[in-house]
Amino acid sequence: MSGSKLFIRQVLALLVKDLKTEWRTREIFTSMFVFAVLVIVVFNFAIGADPELIRQVVSGVVWVALLFATVLGLQRAGQMESEEDSLEGVLLALHDRSALFVAKMIAQMLYLVLVVVCSLPLCGIWFRIDFTACIGALGVVFVLGMLGLSIVGTLFSMIVLHTRAREVMLPMLFLPVSVPLTIAAVYATDQLIVGKSLRDITDYLTLIGIFDIVFLTLALMVFDYIVED
Amino acid sequence: MKNFWYLFAAYSTVWIALWVYTIRLSRKNKELQEELHDLQARVERVSTK
Amino acid sequence: MFLDRNHMFHAIAMYISMTTAIFLIFAYAPTDKMQGIVQKIFYFHVSSAITMFFAFFVVFVASIMYLWKSSDWWDAVALSAAEIGVVFCTLVLITGPIWGRPIWGTWWSWDPTLTLTLVLWLIYVAYLMLRIDAHDPKRARFAAILGVVGFVDVPLIRWSVEKWRTLHPKPVLIQEGGTTGIESSAMLLTFVVCLGAFLLLFFYLLWERTSIAQSRHSLEVLRQEIDDLLTR
Repeated sequence: MSGSKLFIRQVLALLVKDLKTEWRTREIFTSMFVFAVLVIVVFNFAIGADPELIRQVVSGVVWVALLFATVLGLQRAGQMESEEDSLEGVLLALHDRSALFVAKMIAQMLYLVLVVVCSLPLCGIWFRIDFTACIGALGVVFVLGMLGLSIVGTLFSMIVLHTRAREVMLPMLFLPVSVPLTIAAVYATDQLIVGKSLRDITDYLTLIGIFDIVFLTLALMVFDYIVED
Repeated sequence: MKNFWYLFAAYSTVWIALWVYTIRLSRKNKELQEELHDLQARVERVSTK
Repeated sequence: MFLDRNHMFHAIAMYISMTTAIFLIFAYAPTDKMQGIVQKIFYFHVSSAITMFFAFFVVFVASIMYLWKSSDWWDAVALSAAEIGVVFCTLVLITGPIWGRPIWGTWWSWDPTLTLTLVLWLIYVAYLMLRIDAHDPKRARFAAILGVVGFVDVPLIRWSVEKWRTLHPKPVLIQEGGTTGIESSAMLLTFVVCLGAFLLLFFYLLWERTSIAQSRHSLEVLRQEIDDLLTR
């Protein structure tokens, strides 16, 4: 039992360290948020002014913005990591190395949650969609979805850390593998916006849930292979 | 025999692609094996001198 | 031309099975009443698709074995199966639309299997790109992880694409491609022979490509040895 308490403590320690670093400069969050907003605005121009069309497309736009924000955030984080070169020291100090993965994943997820919290009101205003009606259910979908994005994203960002074409490889790996999550999340969000309830989208929620569990398990099983020498 | 050209296009693409790939692999393999034997022979000669 | 007798027998078996398959497809299998002669693309298209899946399954198994045993041979097998898999994947993506155009009236209809094939193409091309940089032991391990992750994702992708498809307009004309019903035992026999020919080809290609990967590795090791000898 003390093994898992130690694990949690180490995860929290790593998480707090990353968050503190981020708090000082707020680089990662700002770039993610600004980029997400940019994507949403550009999409708005690309799609035209028809409000009905926009309503149909808004959940897709939001999730695409989140996908790109994830990639961007991970790349910034990875860049900062390799500049500091602190990874080896951290790994030595860890009892269970997957604590590093969990910490990074949670950090990434927190940034994403923050991005959503900040950009959803903007979407509501610009696209004239009332998100407050389904805000609780939306919360569930977003949390589950972003959990999946963070898991897959963090896994690949650690793999890609040592490759040469890092900027290209991360999206190339991340986006196709996340297709099931993207499809399910967009459809679930869309259904909620139209007025359906959580009960109507259970199969999509199940897919997202299974995706999360499967990839979390895989990532934890495989993490040692990534960092060991 | 309508749509014949579609059928023709599909089969010739697959056929040509597979042939080209198979032959390329065969040739590359043979080439590498020869190079390997060559190099190995030279190392033998040098280290037994 | 062949390196040894097993190799030669394999090649002969391939030649015979392919020729038989072609004969059966064009001279024996009945022409589909609804789709006409274009339906015959089905034999090569579906055989390629099954071979592709099998190839990616081999990548999956070989990747796991590589992570477990760290043996270079398994890594060579994984890489080879992935490359061959991408080749067959590309063929599926080419023959699919060629079949689709006359049948569906459109080049592409986001048919679930074809869409799954497209996503797989992206994933395994990324796998090959990940491996392009030299034979660094870590690179092989990362690729192995992708080999496992990619294959595990397949059922998830399949399920999500099918659900997503229910939103899309169905193609105009006849039934969808992929598994157009095999109507008679003659068609079934033809298909089985064709599939067999493709699988024989797959194993032959796998053998050759793995051999190439291993030779390259041996050459590298040898060159390293030579460098060491020279600098002594």
